[in-house]
This record gives sequence, C-alpha cells and structure tokens, in this order.
Amino acid sequence: MEAVYNLLIGLQTALSPFNLAVLVAGLFVGTFVGVLPGLGGANGVAILIPVTFRLPPTSAVILLAAIYWGALFGGVITSVLFNIPGEPWSVATCFDGYPMAKKGKACEALTTAFCSHFFGAMVATLILTFAAPIVAEFTLMFGPPETFAVMMLTFSAFVALGGKSAVKTVVATLLGFIMAAVGIDIVTGRLRLTFGSTELMGGFSFIVAVIGLFGLGEVFMTVEEGLKLEGVSVRMGVRTIFQTMAQLPRFWRTYIRGALIGCWMGIKPGGATPASFMSYGFAKQFARNPEEFGKGTMEGVVAPEVAAHAAGVSATLPMITLGFPGSPTMAVILGGLMMWGLQPGPMLFKENPEFVWGLIGSIWVANAIGVVMVLSFVPFFASILRAPFSILMPSIVFVCAIGAYAVNNRMIDIWYMILFGFVGMAFKKLDYPIAPMVLALVLGDMAESAMRQSLVMSQGSPLIFFNRPIAGIVNGLAVLFFFWPLVTALRDRIRKKLRAPVKA
Amino acid sequence: MRKADAICALIVLAIGILVLYEAARLGIFGWSTSGPEPGMYIFLLGMGVTVGSLVVLGQVFVRSRKGEPDKPFIRLGGLKPVLYVSVPAAAMVLLTEFVGLYIAAGLYLAVYMRWIGKHKWITVAAVSILLPLVSYFIFDRIFLIPLPKGRFEDLLTF
Repeated sequence: MEAVYNLLIGLQTALSPFNLAVLVAGLFVGTFVGVLPGLGGANGVAILIPVTFRLPPTSAVILLAAIYWGALFGGVITSVLFNIPGEPWSVATCFDGYPMAKKGKACEALTTAFCSHFFGAMVATLILTFAAPIVAEFTLMFGPPETFAVMMLTFSAFVALGGKSAVKTVVATLLGFIMAAVGIDIVTGRLRLTFGSTELMGGFSFIVAVIGLFGLGEVFMTVEEGLKLEGVSVRMGVRTIFQTMAQLPRFWRTYIRGALIGCWMGIKPGGATPASFMSYGFAKQFARNPEEFGKGTMEGVVAPEVAAHAAGVSATLPMITLGFPGSPTMAVILGGLMMWGLQPGPMLFKENPEFVWGLIGSIWVANAIGVVMVLSFVPFFASILRAPFSILMPSIVFVCAIGAYAVNNRMIDIWYMILFGFVGMAFKKLDYPIAPMVLALVLGDMAESAMRQSLVMSQGSPLIFFNRPIAGIVNGLAVLFFFWPLVTALRDRIRKKLRAPVKA
Repeated sequence: MRKADAICALIVLAIGILVLYEAARLGIFGWSTSGPEPGMYIFLLGMGVTVGSLVVLGQVFVRSRKGEPDKPFIRLGGLKPVLYVSVPAAAMVLLTEFVGLYIAAGLYLAVYMRWIGKHKWITVAAVSILLPLVSYFIFDRIFLIPLPKGRFEDLLTF
C-alpha cells in the first residue's frame, strides 16, 4: 500500500500546474520530433538536455520522458500513414497499419494503434509502480561486482538478441567504451587516449554522438535513398473514433498477451523490437483468420503496438532501479540524470523519492493526455511530413547543430556531430548496431569504475565476478548470452547434419 | 559493400592498435597503489576491438572467396544528394566560426532551399530569416543558452 501512497504523491507532483505545462509541451515536441525524419526520440531528448539545466530535476525528467512518449506516438503516425517506421519497433505496426490506411480506414487504424499503445503503457506502468520499489530494495545489496555483472548482461543481451552480426555488435560496443575512456583516467587522474591534443582532453559527449549518429546519420541515409513521401491522407471523425474503440475489447486476448510479452521483454535492453514481432507472431498464430494478417486487420495493429509500448515503459524499470537504460532514448535520459547531479540506481528511491515518483506519476498522466492529444491533432502532425523536404532537411541540420553546441558550448562538438553523422551512416549500412555503442558511451565510466573497484576488492583476482552469488549468476547468464549466436549456429549445423542422411 | 566493409574494419583495427599502444604506455600488468595499472582497462577494450576487426576482415575475405553477390555501398546516384547535404553543412559549421551560428544557418537554409529545393524567393527569405530569429529568442533569450556568434558577439549580447 506504500506504493499507492507514493504514487498519489507522484501524481500530485506530475499534476502541479508547472509540471503539467512542461509535460504537455514535452508531449507536443516529442510527437513533432517523432514524426520528422532524422529526429527520433533519442535525438529530440539529446537536443533538449541543455534546456533542462534551467529546470528543477523533477520537471526536467518529466519533460524528457514526455518527449520520449510523444516520439512513440509520432512514430505510430508515420508508420500508419506513410509506411515509414519511425523506430525499429514500429516495423510490425506497418504490416497491417498501412494496408488499413490504404483501404481508407486510416482513422480506424490510428485509433486502434493509439488505444493499444495506451493499454500497453498502462499495464507496464502498473507493474512498474509496484515492482520498482521491490527491485530497488533488492538492488541495494549490489556491490561493484554485481553492478559490473548487470552491465555485462546488458551488453551481452545485445549480442544475443539484436543485430545481424554478433562480432560487429561487440566491436560497436567496445568502440563506445573506448570513446567514453578518452580524456582523464577516473582513478589516477592521468591523461589517456588524448595523444597530446587539448581538444580530446574533454572527451566525447554522448549527446553529440547521439545527435550525429541518429540525427545526421538518418538525414544522410534519407537523402541517399531519395525519400519520397507518399502518405495517406486522414480525416479523424469523432464517431469513427468511438466506434473503433467499441470494437477493441474483442481482442482482449491479444491485449493481455501483448502486454505481458512487452513487459517481460522490455526489461531487457533492446527488447521492444523483438517484443513487437513476437506479439504479432503469436496473434497471427492464435487468430481465427491468420490469412487476414498483413492485409490490414485491426488485430495486426493491436498486437505489435501493445507489446512495443509495454516494453517501452517497462524499460524505465531497470533505469530507475539499477541505473541501466533499456533503450537509446533511456540512455540519453540517464545521461541527463547524471548531468543534473543525480546518481541513478537504487539510492534514488531513498534520496530523491519525489523525483522517482514524480516520474512514475508523469507516465500515467502523459499517456492519458497523449492519447487525447494525438487523436485530436493527427492531421496537423501528418501535415508536417508533407512539408517540402528541402525545407525540413536544412532546418533539422540547424537544430541538430544547436543541440550539439549547447551541451558544452564547444565549437569542436559541431564538427564531431558531422563526423558522427558519417559514422552513423556507414555503421547502419554495414550492420554495426548503434544502440549498444551509445549505451556504452553513456555507461562507460560507470562500468569502468565498477570493474576497477571490484578488482581492488579482490586484490586483482578476476574470480570476484563469479564467486559471489548474485554476480556469479548474472555473469554466468551474460556469458551464455554472449556465446548465444555461436550456440545457435552450432545447433543449426548439427541439425542439418542429422537431417542430411534422411534426405539422401 | 565488401570493400567498404573491409575499409571500415581496417579503420577499426587502426583504432584498436592505437588504444593498445596507449595502454602499453600507461602500463597494463601489475599492481599500483590505486589498484590495477591504469592501462589495464583500455588494454582489454583495445584487445577486443582489434580481435573483432580481424574477425570481420576474415569474414569479408571468406565471403569474397565464395564469390557471394555484392551490393554497392552507395546506391547509384545516391552520393550526390548526400554531398549536397553534407558539404553545405560543413560549410555552415566553418562559417559559424566567423559569423556565428545564426547567420551561418540562415545562409545555409537559404542556399539549400534555393539551390536544391528551387523554392520561391519569398519562401526562402521567410524561412531563412524567421527560423534563426525564433531560435535566437528561444535559446539565447528564454533559456539563456548562448550560441556561438563569432564576430557578432558584442552586437547581439546585451
């Protein structure tokens, strides 16, 4: 019951006039950013971090979180109306959302998607509200070896779950860690990897990296592919919206299944994308009309949306309890937390309860307001994408440059941004995943100090990562995840060999 | 695509070797007063990157030996629009050093919209003047985030 009490305090914080205004502004900016090509949630949050230094931390995190939720809504609009998935987990939404829109049921498709989005987020928030304090209590027992172990698990999960090439995932992650290490050695204070250059002494800012990799990289990719936006126009009728809503309870099985898959997968990093595909796959398997899937059935919109957004919200759980972000956007928010002088992790619950509960409360409020807002402003947001690309594109580059400069007021950061833009484009084409690289850049210092402190505790023996019960289990899992691609490759080869004689 | 893959792996390899070299300078093995030697951590990272890039190179080699079909890295005719975006963007940054971000961005917007977008002069003027102006009020005046103004520093800060 303590959670309910705390939640009420959180809701009160989130509903204070100032925070409510911040939240609505964030949602609006977020949806805007989510619709624009080249500006996703991670990027929007990164650009606005310098602005948040003028706000109290609770309002600041509400603003950033609201941008994130807004960007998720914006991604739905582009997937359904333009067949452009704003984020990887919106891909499955395009399968049925776009065909529905083409059939002239754009309003139905959007209403279905937004409501599913809302339901998924609500279930995840409910679980978050009650699970977070328990997990936080548990993680208070963590020492440096356990912290390091959870980090290893986080990055191994990327190797196991995502990406086409396991080796390239590892390389991208390590490059992120190397960039984080540039500058001053956190323990001895000696300069490292600066090679005598004063510009490198300041290190690389993850915000600049995010803006370059996600923002400019995306812009370059878009112009190279010669983007042609062929959107379906939409008219939102109040009656159609309510009629659609009335049909949704029929899919209650898909809703519950999707929400549970989403919550479970979302706790792991990079979980939203597999969650959306899993949920879609299950829905198709259990449906009475599987042949309708992919041609524009409502259930095909419900399944991935519920799971993706349940996962998106439950990614908050590891972030506020452990200090580990589940998605690139969360990583950027986490970086912001550290810049405001807050130490993410279980102590946050003890030391800044109004901050944590304000954030949780704001998720409730943001999703409720968000659904109403996007439903009423869809035509406006869709019209942004119809603006000529030759106006949008330079404006996006300009906004990115502002964001990159404002982090540290350094000119060199704008140059880095352009460099990162090219790196982002090359990496995307060559299948180097960007998300774990950004995560490593944000978590680099934390991982390093956890590792070095552990080694000091054990006087140099790496066994400390395996002979403590929690660290041992988590690290064991990490090792398993790390070699998972190898295991599956071996299994497939053995299966092939076993089958071969039968065929012959 | 394979060539680009190999070049990228070689760059990563060079970074890895650079990091290993730096690690060696800082000391890798042994024990100092503050725990492990400062080079130990980056040695592990450098080692991983080096080995990883070699594996990628090996994979590229195996694929080209098998003669698998290859896609071009950049779509035919795709390079030009990318250069159209990136070169003026770099020019904007260079210009920022002298005349500040607002004026540089205004020029960049105008050039791109007129040259690539072929918009009417009135649209070009409206966007390239209004957008920097609005940004100036949002960032410099409301949120008090000073953006670079180059030589116009004294003129615009009150």
